[in-house]
This record gives sequence, C-alpha cells and structure tokens, in this order.
Amino acid sequence: MKLFKKILVANRGEIAVRIIRACKELGIRTVAIYSDVDKDSLHTKLADESICIGPANSSQSYNNIPTILTAAEITDSEAIHPGYGFLSENPHFAEACLTSGITFIGPSAESIRLGGDKAKARQVMKRRGVPVLPGSDGPVISEDAALKTARKIGFPVILKASAGGGGRGMRTAKSEEELDRLYFMAQREALTAFGNGELYLEKFIPDMRHIEVQILADSKGNVLHLGERDCSIQRRHQKLIEESPSTVSTEKFRKKIGEYAVKAAKAFKYRNAGTVEFIVDPEGNIFFMEMNTRLQVEHPVTEFVSGVDIVKEQIKIAAGLPLELKQTKIKLSGHSIECRINAEDPERFIPCPGKIVFLSLPGGPGVRVDTAVYSGCVIPSHYDSLVAKLIVHGKDRPEAVARMKRALDEFVIEGIKTIIPFHKKVLNDPDFIKGDFNTGFVEKMNATEVAPVRL
Amino acid sequence: MELEDLKSLIALLKDTDITELLVEKEGTKVKIRREKIFSSVEISHKVPAIPENLMKEAEEEAQRLITVTSPIVGTFYRCPTPEAPPFVESGLRIKKGQVLCIIEAMKLMNEIESEVDGIVVKALVENGQPVEYGEPLFLIEPL
Repeated sequence: MKLFKKILVANRGEIAVRIIRACKELGIRTVAIYSDVDKDSLHTKLADESICIGPANSSQSYNNIPTILTAAEITDSEAIHPGYGFLSENPHFAEACLTSGITFIGPSAESIRLGGDKAKARQVMKRRGVPVLPGSDGPVISEDAALKTARKIGFPVILKASAGGGGRGMRTAKSEEELDRLYFMAQREALTAFGNGELYLEKFIPDMRHIEVQILADSKGNVLHLGERDCSIQRRHQKLIEESPSTVSTEKFRKKIGEYAVKAAKAFKYRNAGTVEFIVDPEGNIFFMEMNTRLQVEHPVTEFVSGVDIVKEQIKIAAGLPLELKQTKIKLSGHSIECRINAEDPERFIPCPGKIVFLSLPGGPGVRVDTAVYSGCVIPSHYDSLVAKLIVHGKDRPEAVARMKRALDEFVIEGIKTIIPFHKKVLNDPDFIKGDFNTGFVEKMNATEVAPVRL
Repeated sequence: MELEDLKSLIALLKDTDITELLVEKEGTKVKIRREKIFSSVEISHKVPAIPENLMKEAEEEAQRLITVTSPIVGTFYRCPTPEAPPFVESGLRIKKGQVLCIIEAMKLMNEIESEVDGIVVKALVENGQPVEYGEPLFLIEPL
C-alpha cells in the first residue's frame, strides 16, 4: 500500500509547518493554503505549492469547507491533514472529504461527532466500564434536573456545555444558590458560543490533575497508547505547560490509565491519532473527562519520550497501513516538558500581535522548537496567539527542568510581548520543581506572589 | 488506443493553450489534463533593463486600469458553456454588473460581474485555468 502523492495542509502557523515537515520526509508533495494576511507565512514557503484561498476572516478561509475542498480539487490533492483547531473536529468537513473522494487524515465523522457531544460521550464511557466523574446521566434537561443531580452528588459541581470542550463553556457552582443563578447564564453562553445550549453536570474536584493519554488506532482495529501527558499547568482552562511522564504516574498507574484510554478509543470505534483526557483526584482515582478526536498541540512531548513520530503515523494510518508499533515494545524514556510561548502580556495574558524585529531560538541537546515565526515576520491579530512551542527532553525530570530553564533564558523575541517570563516563574517555583501541583497551581502561584525585597 | 495515438494527443496539448482534452475513440475514453502548479517560490531571471520612457508609460497605464481579481478559489471559464462564445472579448465595452466570466467551485458556477462601466483591455488567465483568491483575471479601462 502506497502513501499519498500529495497532501493539502488545511491549517496555518506552526502545525502546518509540522505537517509539511513530516510529508517531506515521507516523500509526499505538499500544498499549503493561506489567507491573504498569511501571504508571507513560513508554511507557504516550505510547501511545494501554495494557494491563497480567501481573506483573513477564518469563516472565509481556514474554516471554509467548500473553499478548501475546491483548493484540494484543483491541486489534485489526494488527502487533507486538518491539523488542530479550525476544521479538525468538524464532522461535516470529514464527511465532505469522503464525498469528494479525498482522504481526511483523522478519524471518521461518526467518531468526531461523538467526541463533540460531551454529555453522550460520558454516557458511552459509563456503559463501557470506563470510570466517569459522578454527575448527570447524559444532559441536564432542566434547572430542576440540574439541582436534583447536584444534591445527589454533592457540591461543588461544574456545569459544562455538551458542545463545548477545550476548557470553554464551563461554570462551577459551590452551592444551590449559585447553581440556581448560573444555570440559565451557562445555557445562554453555550448557545452563543457553540450554537447548542445543552448542558451536563459533573462533580467538581478543585485539586485535580488533568492527565491525558495519546492513542493511535489503525484501520485494522489495532489500538495502542503512547503513555500519559500531565497538562495541569493551566490558566482559565487553557494549557500552558505539559510534561510526560506525569509526576504522579507509576508503571501500575500508566497501565491502568492506558487501558482506560484504549477502551475509550475502542468505544469510539476510533481510527488515527487521538487523545483521551482524564481527571485524576488527589487519591489517584482516574475519571474520563473527554476525548479529543485530533492531533494535539502538545504532541511533541510524547514524541520525545516515546520516539514515535505521531504525524507520520497519522499519515500512514490514513493511507490504510496497519500499525507497526506494538504496545509491549512502547517504553517511555526520560522526561519531556513543553512550554507554549504565546504572544501575550506575561502578567495579564492579553494578546500582543505585531512584528518580530529580532528572533534568536534556543538550541543544544534535547531542545526542540516548533514554530512558524522568523525574524521580521508579522503575527496577525486574526488567529490564536501561539507563536512557538519550546519542548525539551532530559534523562530525568531534574535534567528536563534545568534544560527548560536554560532554553527559556536563550529564547529571544523582540518586537512583541510573550509569556516567557511567566514560564520562567513556573520553572523556578518550588512546588513545580517538586512535582507537587494540580490544576489550581497557576492561580495559587499568582495569589501567593511575594513582593521583591528592597535592600 | 495505441501509445502513438496518446503521444500525438499530448503533443497537441503542448502547442496550444488547451488545458483539458477528452477523447473517445472505439470505446476507449482518454482524458488528458494539464496540471497547474501553484508555486510560492519565485524564480528570478535576469531581466533586461527597460528604457525609462517605456517604464513610465507602463506605470501610467497601470494606474489607469482596473484589475478584476478572483473573489474565490476555483476554475476560470471564459464562456457560459463550452460551445458558447466568451462572455467578453478584448475591446468590448461593458457596463457595471455585466458578467465577465465564471469561476467554478465545487460544481457551483459563480458569475463574476464588473464593478464599473468600461472597456475590457485583456484577460489575464486562460480558459479552464485554476485560480486562487485574489488572482488577477481581467484588465478593465474604466470609463
């Protein structure tokens, strides 16, 4: 079975560069698409062909299904890699590719649809024996139903949008009065943000860890996992730092969470790369949270510790090849940490697009930078603020931490503000260094800031 | 169809601006399509120096003329149907709202209309050519 002759990359920025790199190494021709403001982007220069598809507005370019399919058609592209974000989790897009005879590099539309219905996914997991947090059985159909469930499972609770995910559309309630007040607001927010006001309810664990498992599944029904990633360093549910292995993980823990992830993937009839997200409480109990039916931003962390090129595996699976990897042969080696370098103010996290007048990237052993920026390039204001991913690998966690600190010191970006100072703060925090943290870490760190002592 | 037949068909394509050819002969159907490569890398060649007065004339002309660009990605067609004559030809006087061409995308025919009254100076792309967003299609002299 041959791989594809030509792949269209339906994305931009660092992930488009990532995909193009994998294709080049596999001898596959690439087509880059871009909006008019991305005319000078790195991904358009690295691809074999590039085609302008529309104005800056995503709805007319990167999120526009007919436009992207037309681009694939006129360039004779056999397959489309959707990256992350944009159309990567849009079941209509996956279906439209199928109808057009173009291979969508990812799971089936059915799997995507289930992944996008968080309330239903929870139900499916429960039925399959994957533990879920105590909560509603499917969506809450009324405010009364929400209150009833909350009384049964106990406060605090969290109201989540069924069509949400990625940390958006969530509201916590510590009491019946709060839940009463929040219910209709959460419903309205969900309707506005996701076009679907459906909500479900879960027990809220304030000192939980967010631990996810990378899975790969081929078209022959083989499913395996590449270990866990700890993504607990988040601000307002947005991941900022990820690492593998997790500091709470043991061989036994990894085996258990890995088994749950594989079970979840099979329940989804999953194919290609995906990530199963779990919540782990301080006692080490594991609960299914949601399934991400796409390649994740933080995939390089797993690539470093497992030695597997996940994007290449995605392409091979989509071409119909069976997985060559075997679960028994997969071993995590060393420790990897990723810091997301966003073009945001390091104190207030407000986006700061602009022109990068000077850029100097870190290097040396065990350092990887995934980025699409170059000296003199302009960060447009229309898209997300991720400018670069800095990933390090060390033989153990202390070496990885030292290496990340060293790399952050070498990283120079002038002309825009970035959150590098924030990352340096975290990497020097005693609790982080100890490996003792949960999803409340960032808030705690900011709250316990000690004013510098004047000597 | 023999290899020699195919070779002559390909040669036919080479010397014309035909981009797609469909031939049926004795139960055999052959489609030959010229692939357009969308290149982002500009290959610079040595350009001979243009005399200053010609440069100035070209600049003045460029300022006077309006370029109609493609609002979408798709395939450019000069005629409403393959057998019909083109929508517009060079030298034709046109009115605002007049259809200049069709851009086909996902089997939908999008009619591209002129924004001004004027004269068609020239078409900048060939019939059947794939075009990208913003691709220059026509030069129009506004009146």
